[in-house]
Order: sequence, then structure tokens, then C-alpha cells
Amino acid sequence: MKTTLITAAALSLALLPAFAQVETTPPPPAAPRQLQIPKPVEKTLANGLRVIVTEKKGVPLVAARLLIKNGGEADPANLPGLADTAASLLTKGTTTKSAEEIARGIEALGATLDTGAGWDESSADVSVMSSKLPQALAFLADVVRHPTFKQEEIDRLRQQNIDALSVAMKQPGRLASFVMTHAIFGNSPYGHNLGGTPQSLAAIKRDDIVAFHREYYRPNNAILILGGDIAPARAFAIAQEQFGTWKGAPELARVLAAAKDFPSPRVIVVDMPAAGQAAVVAGRPGLRRADPAYHLSLVANSILGGGYSSRLNEEIRIKRGLSYGAGSSFDLRSDVGPFTATVQTKNESAGEVAGLVVDELNKLGTTPVEDAELGPRKAVLIGGFGRQLETNAGIVSRIGTLALYGLDLDEINRYISGVQAITAADVQKFAAAHLGGNDASIVIVGDAKKFLPALQQRFKNVEVIPIDELDVNSATLRKAK
Amino acid sequence: MLVRRVTIAVLLIAASAAAASFPPINYRHRTLPNGLEVYSIEDHATPTVAINVWYRVGSKNDPEGRSGFAHLFEHIMFKATAHMKSEMMDRLTEDVGGMNNAYTHPDRTVYYEVVPSNYLQTLLWAEGERMGSLTVDEANFKSERDVVKEEYRFRVLAPSYGRFNNALSKDSYAVHPYKRPGIGSIENLDASTLADVQAFHSTYYRPDNAVLIVAGDLDPKQFDAWVDRYLGAVPKPSTAIPRVTVKEPARTEEKHFDEHGANVPLPAVGLTWLIPPAQNDDTEALQIASTILSEGDSSRLYQALVYKKQLAQRASSNADTREDTGLFTVTAVMASGKKTEDGITALRQEVDALGAKPVGAAELEKAKNLIITGALRERETNDGKAGALGEAITQFHDPTYVYRGLERLQAVSANDVQRVVKKYLIDAKAVVITYTQEAK
Repeated sequence: MKTTLITAAALSLALLPAFAQVETTPPPPAAPRQLQIPKPVEKTLANGLRVIVTEKKGVPLVAARLLIKNGGEADPANLPGLADTAASLLTKGTTTKSAEEIARGIEALGATLDTGAGWDESSADVSVMSSKLPQALAFLADVVRHPTFKQEEIDRLRQQNIDALSVAMKQPGRLASFVMTHAIFGNSPYGHNLGGTPQSLAAIKRDDIVAFHREYYRPNNAILILGGDIAPARAFAIAQEQFGTWKGAPELARVLAAAKDFPSPRVIVVDMPAAGQAAVVAGRPGLRRADPAYHLSLVANSILGGGYSSRLNEEIRIKRGLSYGAGSSFDLRSDVGPFTATVQTKNESAGEVAGLVVDELNKLGTTPVEDAELGPRKAVLIGGFGRQLETNAGIVSRIGTLALYGLDLDEINRYISGVQAITAADVQKFAAAHLGGNDASIVIVGDAKKFLPALQQRFKNVEVIPIDELDVNSATLRKAK
Repeated sequence: MLVRRVTIAVLLIAASAAAASFPPINYRHRTLPNGLEVYSIEDHATPTVAINVWYRVGSKNDPEGRSGFAHLFEHIMFKATAHMKSEMMDRLTEDVGGMNNAYTHPDRTVYYEVVPSNYLQTLLWAEGERMGSLTVDEANFKSERDVVKEEYRFRVLAPSYGRFNNALSKDSYAVHPYKRPGIGSIENLDASTLADVQAFHSTYYRPDNAVLIVAGDLDPKQFDAWVDRYLGAVPKPSTAIPRVTVKEPARTEEKHFDEHGANVPLPAVGLTWLIPPAQNDDTEALQIASTILSEGDSSRLYQALVYKKQLAQRASSNADTREDTGLFTVTAVMASGKKTEDGITALRQEVDALGAKPVGAAELEKAKNLIITGALRERETNDGKAGALGEAITQFHDPTYVYRGLERLQAVSANDVQRVVKKYLIDAKAVVITYTQEAK
């Protein structure tokens, strides 16, 4: 990791006299050691299931993830939450086992089995001691291949999810994120809440769930990723045993139309008088995961809002004490995903914070970043990459993302060089094109009377939606009168 | 979401290593002349090293009228020292591809870093610096205090169940300082001063009140020399370290509390009981009881309250053992339209059932497997290994607990589980808390 040496030089760390009693400057680093990048190996079963294994010895554990290459983006426009509902119901009964038998069986192994949907994927994850991997994978295969979607289970989950949403909609941060999704994506496939709304969940029928499963859950639309204390040959054999007879319908899953037009940016205040703190979010369309600017987007975000010493946290928390934390991220997806910057602050300072966020977004595109800042922000990414590869779950997650988006698995070997190659000029150009604050929507959920005047001084056309008039089912965000 | 210099650790299950399949944690130990306890674990699997400093001071040591101070102080430890500017710790960790963080527990405050291993010497110097001195100024102090007030809003005021979580300790202890919330209150935080910071540092932040644990890519001889040089130089004060001596009395009657919060769409209920200190022989049986009650979808609380009766949106339990009297808690967030009385009754029924007869062999084995696998997962990383050892040292006053804990866990019988549930829960007095929306 050369970056560490560059950084050390930038900090002008001086050598110490060996006799010093009180040493006033930090000792310099020694020569860095090389990070070992895991080496995934793969095989595709006759039925089209792609199996990828990364062996890592040390701790007798294995993480396994079965990915279905469709998720919330495939929700029908009137049924947000369908993909997540289908995935969540997988463990609630199969043709041979009840929900309770599945839970008892998997937990008897000391294992966990979690299912859910994301954007672009549905997943089932197992974490288990390596000695019990075959039994755990048998459960994983059973729930993915043979779920029964009993009406009783559908009704129970629906009620639980509606209750959970009733709580989520009272959290300023969660609600702001629901609203921002509509502001960024309008009516395009990513323009809804992944978990649905109380109204959409109520509308989901068993037939919808069965059809979703039939269409997307098939071996030639799936990837199995294993990481940890397991030899590839043994993993392939277990995969063949559990998934070899899995047959899917011949036609491939439909390809979703890409969003072409994004709505104009908005400034939206959801007035929640009882909010204990205000949530401030700035957001705009970002990038596709396969975009050649992948590493560039990571570096730009690392400077702006990735990690403790990023600019947003520096300006808002460290310098001004206005928040417990400010940060930003690109959610890179199959199609263009969102970029969001989020902060929670006391209601009184929400307007000021919104202005600070937009200023920082603009600054990155107008002023070149100094090398003394760029080097450390790259080191943050490279270090985080190394730490992610320390755990089985981290390896499986990273390999799974590459496979899901059809990227060369060898990209994992180019991560460090890809980050290191980015220049200050690259960042400025990228930020000007993709991070301009004036093209961002702003959403604030909080006690509006405490920040609205300050906000309106800075931003024009502020839409104020009283919490009772908010409708998270539509891009207008207002209940019909 | 924003986990940085976080407060109040969730109690990690400290069960540990001894089973045949369990990779051992081989540690070295020595005590420096200034009283600092030093542990190291050599492991070259990754080119990183985790550095932990565990100070034996926590929220229970908050000065009178300064609830939340130990946690505020933890934030201040990232500010200036004699030879480090404010936030220099971030320059030495984050900027070189590492990370740092800290947490404040009722009994202890833990600072940790993970860095590329070629920075180990640098970080040992830095930990020696902040153990030796803090030179924060008024402006930095006030700004960080504002950050902690925002953290209070973030954790307590904004979430629906923030005040409920605070109430669990507040209502459960009659006299022990564990009753005060570790996050404090806006009023108490505002009352704290820069002078409090200096007094707290000189009272508690000293080598004879700390444990250094380093795990990862290190050379033991080189490590020892660096430790002597940078941490061995920190003087040991001659004053005694004040300790909390208050003892929480046994409860004589059941007590009920009505608590309220803003934005509480679904009410919550909780029952708590006092349990003995972590070092007590019954700790592992209580951990297993909690695991049986609430770990996973096959757990008893999930099956009864969430799945079958559909009374609760979620249910959980915790055997929160501490250095002094701990708490066993069972809680539930009610499903919409369900009565809190029914939630309390159902929680009691499950606790009673666990005390009425021994659990079956399969259920006991399941709980042990879940705990062991969780401990394994924790030990995938250098920082996790250091954390497991730190728990053993500070909570159990015995580093060998990092092995012994698992042996003790394996030895727990169904009768043990029944016995501890009966003794500490059923035959003792509960505190019962009902949490609902405040009047608008």
C-alpha cells in the first residue's frame, strides 16, 4: 500500500532521537506490508447457477450468499415492497418444513439464515461453522427453491411490516429517506420505498408473490457465493448436491427499462412538530455500478462525506458542533442509483446545515483538492477495503456485488491501483458534473417553525408538507384533497 | 448509522475459546512498573494491527450532577494533548488507512484503533500521549459538548424508543449510579466545565487504571520495547483511584413505572430483574436463558409473542451482567391495537415457563451453538480478538476467561438454567415499565 508512505511524507513525520524521554513528535511508520487479496474461483452448474468460492483459513466459519439478480427495481409500479415481501417469506415455510421448523433447524446449527431484497437483487445469507455447512446450505436451498407462501404467513408478515413502517415513519431520518427517493427518481423503477408503504403492502396478493418467485428465482438468474473455511472443490460438490436439480423456466428475467428523465430538483420540508431532531438530506441521481468512473466516485465521496474527517463531517460536526455525524454516499446500482448526503441536527440549525451541505457539494466541483487531502482520503478507501476482506461476510459481499453487476471478478485486484490513479483534476471535473449542489434536491423532516425562515433565506420554492398531509405513495408526496 | 465515538456498548456475549474447533487466542501478558497491564496477541494473517486501551472508568463514575460526563470525556480524548493537535488521532489512523473509535460502558471506557501494522509504533506513542496529558481548550471543549448534545438528540429524542431504553436502567436501580443514563441529559452536559475534564483525566486516566491490548501483525520483542518507551514513561500518580462502593439492595417489592415519549406509534413494555455481578458462577446460565428467550426466530419470545399470539411487533431479552449488580431485561414493542397489559402477561408467562421445568436437550444445545458461533464471528478480526480479551480482563477480572468462558458455558445444564431463572427472576421482584405516547 504505497499510499501510506505518501501520506506519511505529507504529514512530515520526523525521525526521533532514540534517547528522548518525552518524545514530542510521532515516530514514523515502518515499511508497509502487502495486503493479500482473496482469490475467488468459480464454476457454473449445468442449470446455469454460477458458484463462486473464496477460501480463507483461520476461523472455522463460512458465509454463503445466494443472490437472485432482481429485487425492488422489479416491483410493479402499484406494488412497492413485493420483492422484499417475497424474500422475507422464503423462511416462513417450504413444501416440507414449517416456519418454526426452519428457524429451529437453522438455529440448532448455531447458524443464521437471513433473507431480504435490495435494489437489483434478492438474497439469502447463511453464516455457519464450517463443520455444519452442508446442513445449513440444505436449509438455504430449500427456502429459495420450495417456499409455499402460505396465506397465513403472508397476512402475519404484512401486519408486522405495516407496524414497522408506522414506527419508521416517525423517525425523521427514515422518513426523509422515503421522501428523497421520490424526489430523486420520480416514477422510475427506483422511485419507491424498497419495503413498500402501508397501502402497497395491503394490496399485495399471494398470486403476486408466487408470480414474482416463479419469474425471478431460477438458477440461471442466481449466483451462489461462499467465503471462508471451505475448499472450493468441496463447496462446488455441496452446491451441486443442493442446487443441481434446481430447474427454472426457460425464459430469462425481463430487463428493466432504464430511467431516462429525472425530475427537477425540489426543496421539501416535512413538518413534524414533535421531531426531537431534524433530518437533513441532499440527494441527486448518481451513477451506475458499472460506470467507468467507479473509483473516481469513491474518491470524490471519500473527500466529501465518506468517513470521519471528510469535509461534511469536518464542517458540520468537528468545526461547528452541529451534528453527531454528517456523511454522504453513492448507492451504485444496475441503473443510475442515488447520491445522498445526510445529517441530523437540532431543529433550530436545520436551515444552516442544509446550506453548509450544498456549499460543500459545490466547492468540490469548483476548487481543486490539495494533495495533502487527496492522499489521506484515498488511504481511507484502501484501508477500508482491506478491513472488509478480513471477514467472510465482507469477502462474500464484495465478490457478490461484482458478480451481480456482471463485472470481472479480477476487479478486486485493481481496486487499490484504481483508487491510487485518481488525480485532483479528475475529482474536480467529476464533482462539477455529478455533485453540483444546485442540482440536488433537499429534504428536511423536522419541526418546521424552528428552521423555515433560515431555510427560505437560502433556498427558493420551498415546499412545506405538514406531516398529516404527506403521502409517501406518490411522487407528489401530498395526499389528494 | 453514525457509529463514531459511540456511547454505551451493547453487552457482548463474552463466551470464549476452548472447544476443539475453536482457534486459540494465545496472548502474552506483563505489567509495567507504572502499573499498566499489557497484553499482546501475535497474528500475521493480515497486515493490520488493532490497538485497544481499556480504562477502568465508565458512566457509573460520572461526577454528581454530571450525568453523561464519562462519555463526554471520551469524546474529548480525541482533542489536543501536549504534543498532538486536536483530531491528530484521526491523522494517524484514518489518514493512513486505519480507523479509530471508542465507547463508554457503565464500567469502562474503551479506545481502539485498527491501522496498517507499520504504524504500530506511531499509535503506541499516541496512546501514551493521551494517557499522559490532555490540553483541550475552552472552544474545543464547548464544540465537542455540542456534538454530544446532538448525540443525545440522535439517540434519545429522535428515535421512538430512545427514552424507553434510557428508562430501563433509570427505573431498575434504586441507588446504584448505574441508574443514571450514560448519555446524560442536556442540563447535566451544560453544567460540565473544562476544569471537570482535567480533574477526570488526572483521577482516572492513568497507567495503573488501564489495560493495553494489541492484536495482529506485531513482533513481540519490538512491541515490548515500544511499549516501555512510550507507555512506560507515563508516570503513576500516588493518589488512590476512587471506586464506586454503593451496593444496590435486593428489591423488596415489585414496582411499576409509566414512561412516555414523543412519536411512539406502538407502545412498549419491559420487565427487569437484578442479577449478580459478571464474575458470579451463574453468569453463563443467565446468558443461555436470555439466548433461549430471544435469540433468533425459534426463540421463545419470538415464537409466543411475535409469531403465535401476534401480540408484539418485536421482543427481546438481555442478560446484561456488569462489574457490579447487573440487569436481566425482557422487552416487547406491542403490535398495533394490542394492550400493554397483555404484553406484560405474555412476557411473564415465558419467563415463568423457563423456570417451571428444565429446557430440552436440543434447545439447550441450540443456545450454546448460537453463542459459540457468535463468539467465533467476533474473532474473525484482530479488533474482535482484542475485544474478547478485554472483556475477559475487565468484566471477569481474569484473562483466561477468554478460554474458560466457553468451557463454563458448555458445562451449563438444563437444571442450571431453570435454577437461575427461578432464583433471580421468578423468586425475585420485577420492575415493570410501560412506555406510551406522551399527551400532545
